[in-house]
Amino acid sequence: MAMSQRKRRFAAGGNAILVSALVVVAACVAYLIADLNRVRVDLSADQGSVLLSDTRTKLAMLDRAGSPVMITAFSGQRGKKESYFKDRALLDLVEELDFASQVVEVHFVDLDKDRLTAEKLGVTDYSTVVVQRGEARVDIKDRELFRRVGSGAERRLDFLGEQAVARAFAQLTADNHRVVYTLVGHGELDPQTQDLGGLSEVAAVLEQDDYELKRLDFVRQTDQPVPRVPDDAAALAILRPKVPIPPLEEDLILAYLAGGGSVLIAVDPGTPVPSLLGRLGVVIPSGRVLDKLLVFPYPDRPVPRYKGHRITKDLADDSMVTVVSSAAPVQPSVPAREGIRSSIVLETSRDGWIDRGGEVKNGQGLFEPEIDGAGPASMAIALEVSSDSGLVKKGTARVLVSGDADLFTNGLLTEGPGNSSFVLNSFRWLVGDDDRISVVGKPASVRRLAISAEDIDQIRWLALGLGPILVLLLGAGVWAARRGR
Amino acid sequence: MRGILTIWKKELRVYAVNPTAYAFLAVFLFLSGLFFFLGITLTGEASLRVLASNLAIAELFILPMLTMRHFAEERRQGTLEMLLTSPLSPFSLVIGKWLASLTLCALMFLGTAILPLILAHYGDPDWGVVATTYLGLLLVAGAFCAAGLFSSSLLDDQLAAGLLGIVMLLPFWLVSRAEALVGDELAERVSAFGVLNHLEGFGRGIVDSADVTYFAALTFCFLFLTFRALESRRWR
Repeated sequence: MAMSQRKRRFAAGGNAILVSALVVVAACVAYLIADLNRVRVDLSADQGSVLLSDTRTKLAMLDRAGSPVMITAFSGQRGKKESYFKDRALLDLVEELDFASQVVEVHFVDLDKDRLTAEKLGVTDYSTVVVQRGEARVDIKDRELFRRVGSGAERRLDFLGEQAVARAFAQLTADNHRVVYTLVGHGELDPQTQDLGGLSEVAAVLEQDDYELKRLDFVRQTDQPVPRVPDDAAALAILRPKVPIPPLEEDLILAYLAGGGSVLIAVDPGTPVPSLLGRLGVVIPSGRVLDKLLVFPYPDRPVPRYKGHRITKDLADDSMVTVVSSAAPVQPSVPAREGIRSSIVLETSRDGWIDRGGEVKNGQGLFEPEIDGAGPASMAIALEVSSDSGLVKKGTARVLVSGDADLFTNGLLTEGPGNSSFVLNSFRWLVGDDDRISVVGKPASVRRLAISAEDIDQIRWLALGLGPILVLLLGAGVWAARRGR
Repeated sequence: MRGILTIWKKELRVYAVNPTAYAFLAVFLFLSGLFFFLGITLTGEASLRVLASNLAIAELFILPMLTMRHFAEERRQGTLEMLLTSPLSPFSLVIGKWLASLTLCALMFLGTAILPLILAHYGDPDWGVVATTYLGLLLVAGAFCAAGLFSSSLLDDQLAAGLLGIVMLLPFWLVSRAEALVGDELAERVSAFGVLNHLEGFGRGIVDSADVTYFAALTFCFLFLTFRALESRRWR
């Protein structure tokens, strides 16, 4: 009897242990399956926790290439005021990169503790990131990762690490160094000018994809026996010439296009229009583009709509607005030229029009059908010129014509969430890096508290004292009530 | 379902009249305030990230102590046999008690609502991140309460049950810091089972299906083991 009871207990116990073990194993398997098929939702306000589309595109390219990439991020200096933010920003970034790629391996190294790794990599500075792919290596310094903005109470630290790492990926991905020439000598926008009307910030954005912006002056060109667009030109940018380009120079540009080159031509309302646009089947009517849908508080800044072009597809998908300044209308000629495929890139809403002066109300132009052109009005068009046009002898030439040159300046680059992406994607399309076209993002910044010394005492009392005291009083009340019963 | 609701109400009533629960709540709020204060004075950031990781560790010690009495006390008073022979199923018993503990945790977190309000007064916190931080803490609380219930179902002595709960949960904290003890590769593998690693994403506003599954699996395992432990009384 006792034996059979023991047997029963043994059987029931064994069964219970087996079932429990199986349930635990099943739970572990469920977790591992979920870990392999992760779905992540970023609920933060600025969506700053997941990688930017641009970085994801570059990671996908690295994954396709297959060879491993090693990222070693070194900590900030212990005890320094901003080290916590710096370390946390770097840790978050490397964690996301590790999660998003099959080939990227990440390490976060405490520079004070792990001197050996630092010595091996020859790193002596805090908050440094080393990106390695095979023998190639890019070092990203603290000043490239973080940027101090503002002053006084408004002072903050922006984290530019993701853009810097994405730039390093571009530099390490095959040989993708491209030179984009900007024509100068006719009062055009200058890549070396750092003010709002310059291109210095644009040059920095282009560097993200290892594109180099160089000046091209046909008159002072000494490195060529005869003036010409250099052979290493991936694209040529003609940004708002203030005087007409001489016919001889236009011929040089057409000769470059004939070889399958790519040209960006940007004008503003009232500035000289290169006559070669006529040969490319592009018309720039007089007037400026306006829309009832305006960027507040500017009366001359219509909110452009994206048409279905590769340059703006991702911007349209992410609902990222590109802000234009006063823009000239840009239209394909009718009938269309043979061998030239034109696509509208930016245009106004149906409420837009081509304004040619007339009445103004509250500082805003009004649509007057007798003098203005009806909308929607296009502000940028992209052309693909084939040999059927008679203009191109080799391959297909790409041309982007923008009615707003300011769009490419430092001043407008950060004006709208989509501006820097639009500029970079324009150049990516022109040089044929279509697979790189994506949305680039803004730097992540820390949300700081504005606390004075007096506030600290108040916060200490509120955080440490108020809650516990109230709860203890409530508990004492309950205890007293129960004793009184 | 009615059984679960009955147990849930009964347990909440016990908590409401038990001065110990108030003492734990006061300690919890004090620790929350302390971690919050240290966090904002050290970082100057309008964020609850420092609070969340430290509070998860505090939960590891507080919650087994809060749940230790559930079955151990019933057993000591001799009411467990009554409950097990009543029309209530062991499943209702376990889930009801677990839900009551979780409700108390939710009330604890509600008590810390003043902390994000302080952030809002002196800065501009990201409310999405605040919400996910609390969601993460609640998931941690769910798993730890389940572990506390399991330890309580194993032992007759309340204090021993509480200590066993802490000992059971300690590895889930320690593996999060495995890189300090073992090599990089091994640390990477074992730290996947660490609580803090899975809480980290919530502190950044990310809700990751793997993290949610981890906490759900942990909770389910402990609740299932509690259920089996209670059932074992039938054949032991």
